Formats: sequence, C-alpha cells, structure tokens
Amino acid sequence: MMSRLVILSANSLKGSGPFGAGLVHASRSLHTSSQSRAPVPPLPETGGKVRHGIFPEEIFQLLYPKTGVTGPYMLGTGLITYLLSKELYVINNETLSAICIFSVIIYGVKKFGPSVAAFADKLNEEKLAKAQEVKDLAMSGLTQAIENEKKEQWRVEGRAMLFDAKRNNVAMLLETNYRERLHMVTNEIKRRLDYQIALQHLNRRLEQEHMINWVEKSVIGSITPQQEKESIAKCIADLKMLAKNTQAKATV
Amino acid sequence: MAARRVALKAIDWVAFAERVPPNQRSNFNALKTRSDAISAKLTSLPETPAPIDWSYYRTAVAKPGMVDEFEKKFKGLKIPEPIDTQTSVINAQEAEATKSAMAYIEESKVRIAEYEKELLKFKNMVPFDQMTLEDYYEAFPETKLDKVKYPYWPHKPIADL
Repeated sequence: MMSRLVILSANSLKGSGPFGAGLVHASRSLHTSSQSRAPVPPLPETGGKVRHGIFPEEIFQLLYPKTGVTGPYMLGTGLITYLLSKELYVINNETLSAICIFSVIIYGVKKFGPSVAAFADKLNEEKLAKAQEVKDLAMSGLTQAIENEKKEQWRVEGRAMLFDAKRNNVAMLLETNYRERLHMVTNEIKRRLDYQIALQHLNRRLEQEHMINWVEKSVIGSITPQQEKESIAKCIADLKMLAKNTQAKATV
Repeated sequence: MAARRVALKAIDWVAFAERVPPNQRSNFNALKTRSDAISAKLTSLPETPAPIDWSYYRTAVAKPGMVDEFEKKFKGLKIPEPIDTQTSVINAQEAEATKSAMAYIEESKVRIAEYEKELLKFKNMVPFDQMTLEDYYEAFPETKLDKVKYPYWPHKPIADL
C-alpha cells in the first residue's frame, strides 16, 4: 500500500527497473526447484489506482452495484463516526501531532513529489541511455565488421585478374622478343647485300679513276721533245698569223 | 606468328583497381605502369619486317649466285620462338594464391559466423528498460559480481570501481 502511495504521487515515474529488481528477485528466489522458465511479463507502468491517496479503487468498484457512487464515502463516514463516538479511537495529544505530521508530509509530497520523481527518472534514463548506446555501438560495429569481411571476400575473388595481367605481360614480352629477332634477321641480310653493292660501286670508281690517271700519264709521256718543239713552233706561227689578221682587220 | 596474339586476355584495369585493397595500391600502380610500358613497346614494333626486294638485288649485285643463295637461305630460315619459362611459374603462383585465398575465405567465414552470433545475441536481448539485474548479468556475464571471491560489498576489488 505504501508503494501505491509513493507511486501515485510521483505519477511520472517510468522506470520500474530498480523496484522490479527487488520484487521479481524475491519472487524468483522463492521458486527454487520448479522454476518456470517463461519470461516474466514486464511490470506495470503505474501502480494500482487509488482515490485520495490511500483507498484502492477496487473498493469503490466493489460497492458501486449495491450502493452507487456515494456508497464507500458513507461507509467511511459511518466507520469514523462509530470509532469516535464509541471512543474506540480516543482523541488526545497524539491525534493533534498526527494531524500536523501527516499534513506536513502530504503537503511536502504533493509539492515536491513530481520534481523528485523527474530527477530520479532522469538518473535512470541516463543509465539506460548509456547502456543503450554501448549496445548500439556494439551492434553497428559488428555489422560493419561483417560488411568488411564480405568486402574482403569479394576482393579476394579478383585475384585471377592479377595472374592474367602477369601472363599477359609475359606473352607480350615474348612476342616483342620474337619480332625483334625477325627484324634483326632482315636488317642483317639487307646490310650484307648493301655492303656488297657498295663494295662494287667503290671498285668501279677506283678502276675508273685509275684508268683515267693512267691514260693521262701515258699521253703526256708520249709527247717527245721533238714533237714538243714542232708544236711550239706551229703555235708561234699561228699566233703571228692571227696577229697579222687582227692588225689587218683593225686597220680596215 | 598470329597465334601468339590471341593469348593476350583483355584486362579491365578499372574493375581490377576496384578490387585492390588500399594497402596494396602501390604494388598495383607499379604493375600497371610496367604492363603499359610493355604493351607500348609491343605496339611500336610492326608485326612483320619490310620484305626484301630480291629482284633489285639480283640486278645490282655482280656476284652471281650470292643473291640467290641469300634468298634461298632466308626463305628457308625459321626463327625460333622464345621459350616461355615464366608461365608455369605464374601458374604455380596462381594455384598457391588460390589455396591461401580459400583458407582466408574460410577464416573470414568463421569470423562472420562469430559476429553474426554476437549480433543475434544483441538483437534478442531484453530491452534495457524491461530488464532485471539478473537479466543484465545473464546478458553481460563479465559484469556479474563474484560474491564468493569477494564476500563483502562492493564485491569487487576497490581498484575496479
């Protein structure tokens, strides 16, 4: 009943965790042998409904069919009157102190109850939020790790391309080498044939020059001194005649 | 001669680049530059050399029979193709790589199974606001207080607070 009072006045209480721990803990430790492993349903968010802070709603519902709305109030009034009139409850100094204490308590709870409850809720919320954050981080980390592993597997599948590239390189190198050999053979043959032709040209030129030199030398050598004197005399005579002719022409 | 050309497989460098993990990117770049250099060299060489004009040489060279002899020898010449020593090595490397890749994939699968188990555990956990302390200790066994080893509160060494 006390728990109902506290729960009602602090009616914004949401986290029933700590309370739940105590209650359910106790109930679980009672069933030691025949444990039902069924999951325990979550605790209710609010406590049972009460009227005026202490009287459970069930009494009102119970008496409603027979006595209507005012039934329990009449019952309460009657009981109090009975207790007072028969002096089953004696009014003395304790009564006054009880009235003062209870009024202060009720005033305090009504005034500060909600804010204290909110504060306690905030504390609990923070704890829950931290735990939730840790859990979320863990889950996202795990999913990320799974993603990464799958990606790595996909990457590994591409290894065939590497070896294809290597084989291609090898084939290209071989082909290049082969072509170079072909070219080399052709070029060598061409060079040799061209060398022969050049050699021939050179020989021919040398022969020509030699022949020319020889003919010149022999011709010059064949001019004897006798012939030389005759040719010089003839040249002089020719020149004289030419000079005479030119003079004759000039005077005319 | 033309049969060798077919051996070249078309490589999709873009797709290849996607699959390279970041820590091997420099190796990949080196390979690519090498391959490009080799293929450039290959394309720069014509496939067959220019044919020799035998009739011109026959008329030009005076030595009889020399040109004919050359021609005969040239036509009969068969240039040996270079021997391929590396392809078998590469094939062996590929087989080995396949083996290690399979092993890696197996390990990776084991890891994925572990991760998925943990993920399942997290997913199936009771939500925190409906959890009791007992549920909490079940879900995260490392937080359970050892009341036997440390019977007095706070049930764990002070340094761990």
